[in-house]
Amino acid sequence: MKPGPQTGTRDRIFWGAGIVIVILYALIPVAWIVTLSLKPAADVTDGSFWPKNPTLDNYTGEGGVFKDEQFKAALWNSIGIALIATLLAVILATFAAYAIVRLDFPGKTLIMSGALAIAMFPPVSIIGPLFNMWRDLHLFDTWPGLIIPYMTFTLPLAIWTLSAFFREIPWDLDKAARIDGATPFQAFRKVIAPLAAPGMFTSAILVFIFAWNDFLFATSLTSTNKARTVPAAITFFTGSSQFTFPTGQIAAASVLVTVPIIVMVLIFQRRIVSGLTSGAVKG
Amino acid sequence: MTAATPAASAAAREVGPGPKLSGRARSERKLGLLLCAPAVTVMVLVTGYPIAYALWLSTQRYDLRFPDDRGFVGFDNYIAVLGNSLWWQDLVNTTVIMVVSVVIELLLGFALAFVMHRAIFGRGPVRSAILVPYGIITVVAAFAWRFAFDPTTGFVNGLLGTEQSWFTEKWSSYLVIILAEIWKTTPFMSLLLLAGFTLVPDDVVNAARVDGASAGYRLRKVIIPLMKPAILVALLFRALDAFRIFDSVFVMTRGAQETENVSILGYKTLVSRLNLGLGSAVSVLIFVCVVIIAFLFVKGFGTSLAQQRGES
Amino acid sequence: MLGAALAVTATACGGGDESGTPVLKWYARDEAGGVFGTAIDDCNEAAEGRYEIELQALPANADEQREQLVRRLAAGDSDIDLMNMDVIWTAEFANAEWIRPWPEDQVAAATDGRLETAVESATFEDTVYGIPLNTNAQLLWYRKDLTDEPPATWDEMLDAADQLEADGEPHQIWEQGQRYEGLVVWFASLLASAGGSILNEDGTEVSLEEEPTRRALEVLRDVSTSSHAPPALATAQEDQGRQGWESGDAAFLVNYGFVWPSANELAPDIAEQMAWAPFPSVEPDVPSTVVAGGFNIGIGAYGDHPDLAVEAATCLAGEPNQTRNAQDAGLLPVTEALYDDPEVTEAENEAGVKLFPYAAEMKEALDRATLRPRTPFYNDVSLAIISILHPTADIDPEADVDRLRDAIEQALKGEGLL
Repeated sequence: MKPGPQTGTRDRIFWGAGIVIVILYALIPVAWIVTLSLKPAADVTDGSFWPKNPTLDNYTGEGGVFKDEQFKAALWNSIGIALIATLLAVILATFAAYAIVRLDFPGKTLIMSGALAIAMFPPVSIIGPLFNMWRDLHLFDTWPGLIIPYMTFTLPLAIWTLSAFFREIPWDLDKAARIDGATPFQAFRKVIAPLAAPGMFTSAILVFIFAWNDFLFATSLTSTNKARTVPAAITFFTGSSQFTFPTGQIAAASVLVTVPIIVMVLIFQRRIVSGLTSGAVKG
Repeated sequence: MTAATPAASAAAREVGPGPKLSGRARSERKLGLLLCAPAVTVMVLVTGYPIAYALWLSTQRYDLRFPDDRGFVGFDNYIAVLGNSLWWQDLVNTTVIMVVSVVIELLLGFALAFVMHRAIFGRGPVRSAILVPYGIITVVAAFAWRFAFDPTTGFVNGLLGTEQSWFTEKWSSYLVIILAEIWKTTPFMSLLLLAGFTLVPDDVVNAARVDGASAGYRLRKVIIPLMKPAILVALLFRALDAFRIFDSVFVMTRGAQETENVSILGYKTLVSRLNLGLGSAVSVLIFVCVVIIAFLFVKGFGTSLAQQRGES
Repeated sequence: MLGAALAVTATACGGGDESGTPVLKWYARDEAGGVFGTAIDDCNEAAEGRYEIELQALPANADEQREQLVRRLAAGDSDIDLMNMDVIWTAEFANAEWIRPWPEDQVAAATDGRLETAVESATFEDTVYGIPLNTNAQLLWYRKDLTDEPPATWDEMLDAADQLEADGEPHQIWEQGQRYEGLVVWFASLLASAGGSILNEDGTEVSLEEEPTRRALEVLRDVSTSSHAPPALATAQEDQGRQGWESGDAAFLVNYGFVWPSANELAPDIAEQMAWAPFPSVEPDVPSTVVAGGFNIGIGAYGDHPDLAVEAATCLAGEPNQTRNAQDAGLLPVTEALYDDPEVTEAENEAGVKLFPYAAEMKEALDRATLRPRTPFYNDVSLAIISILHPTADIDPEADVDRLRDAIEQALKGEGLL
């Protein structure tokens, strides 16, 4: 979307204000978590938004998250598991969505609604039997042990999202490109792939965030640092005593855990909207 | 794969499926099923047994603490749940939270998607910023909200100049819970809507503008219908998730002040009380409710699930 | 491609099993100061190669610990050799046969010299199922600059707070009113102090004597509806109480001992004025009875080396480790002699502040302490009590006695939704 020829100052002010509001909306609670992580234990309860005596104690200090072996292992687990699950889920979903949209075969509706049904079943009653299954298959407390459920429960959303996208893509464009002299592969790469990219990157973000955020499977299907991810690891933080709630550490851990998300989103957000350009589609 | 098949399937369509399946059509069917196979296999293998087991459990009397005392009880568990006013109360709570948050999220999501789409500068930072709430771990976000609204330690009371104890009353608890939910998951909605915006070709919109259509008209009659698929997916999945909200409520009120919802009930029965029979019945009932919601959505939107579109 | 990815990541699966020194997994929350790690090191040394203990961390929250343990025990997990059990789990776990009874010949070693209540908490149907590790009970904390004589009863405390309010001083009374186990502890302590009990001796039937129950409910309601109840009482857990205390708004606090070192570190001005007294009575001239908490070490029923596990547990819960747990993590010992031991009573933190100045009063409270009902249905009973009593400000002492009785009766049958 290119701005029109007259982008007056009024427009810029309008958009500027809008953007500031939107960013504030998104980031004020995040800022709150950041300031919480910078507050020393004594000030955590002082009821103010800004830290009066900011400190990096929760990060680098005694009980800080950087010193916590368990947390570092969890961070690594989270990143690896989420990335692999995203990759696999998007690939499988792309195959399926492409087939559903472009090919004619029996059982399409069954697959779509079956997938939806799976996504809708309350996970809390699945973890019991899944736990038993995983123990028997030696998948308990392993990376695949989490990757597989994450794939399973994000495939429906990914398939539905990609189907919605693929349905709107003018597939015959690549035919037109090949008539214009491009090879099939060139046609695919230059015409179809950019059109499919928004859907795929959107699905990738959704799957990644699901895997990143999940708490239920992470606590039930892991036991040690081998596979425990960050949401579960946070529940293992203990405060300075039996009853003290480790506010500072949890805030610091959350900040650290949000950074990869921000990075990923920054990288992906351009791809999400890089799809249709005004020249590609002609009625 | 992708380069060859469009040509093949396009050719197949040109030939047209006659009363008998042509060779091409048959190979198209095979390919279609083959492409779907990995995804379907994973989904079925992983959830097939657990879901079947949960269904079977719901017809048993099975308390994990008394493993010897098991037996088939038919629909007794369902009767116990449906006959209990706690279930209906929780159902109402859940529906309220779902409807309110989804409606607000849709409107807000549209606005955010619009900003992400049309901002004339700073698009990258804006889009990244908007998605950050969605990426924050749910329990942490819920905890941060609770902490902010806590009368002793939070800053909200100081900011608003009130002494309100937010989590000790039903409506103020609802308010905070819904606020937290909306803040966290509107980005999901706006992401899908943004993607939906990209499906709307500029020329169609410009043509409408040139024809004299007002902004509102353009929105209602041109943009939204073209975005329908994206809106459906966004609303459907968001509603399903909103119905099954758990983390936020658990962290903020633990279901107190009548904010308890069906997911918390299921969790309490299944995981805390270890009553697998009753808990599975609650889960199945939750599933039934969700199915009804999904059904209403899909019917309401009138989009055919797997409509095939070759031409634009 | 799927298979390849799985194969690559499956290398994380399953470490090799080496024959040799049996490894005993101890499932416990990793307490502050790494005290359990040090205890393990000492006990491994003492074991001289016969076994090796390994800590398997559990979540910080007791409910989540139970969740994890139960899921695995119900599946017959042989990985759990020893586990830290909250005192309220003994009956449930023992009845479901998830833990082993303590061997007859070792019972004396596990129970001699330990607090009676702690030993009782590890017992179910006259069989010992665990060795007590640490215990806990609440005290009343007050400020010397606000109150000269600590109130002896709850009514006296309310009166004192009224006076403070009139004088424009801080006057809040902090207890745990959130919808969780802490509320049951409050109620059970009040009930016991009033002379009542929740269940009968066997733990099979509801007791809830009319008069004491009504008194207990009245106290709950009076405190919660008074102007001294903090606005967030209905969501207050132990840590919120500590925060309220350290903010300076509180005149009285009922809480565990962890508030003492915390206040000294984070709010020294208040800590200077901080004093303690027993849990207020309900009836004048009748000493109060508090509920004792704590943890015992139990032996998993499916572990491969139960006899070694018993040995390991006995070492881990031995006096030297109890002493260190107290000094570095604030976990109160269960061996009676330790309450006279200067290593505990005179222990100081780095700033030179005594850690357990309240040891004598605590010991008195623990000697008189009571336990929450010991029934396999305790979880349901607790949920039932919580659902009736929360929020405490809405309690109707007359009607709620019967409602409570009905709810607990239903809970004992394990039926219905809660």
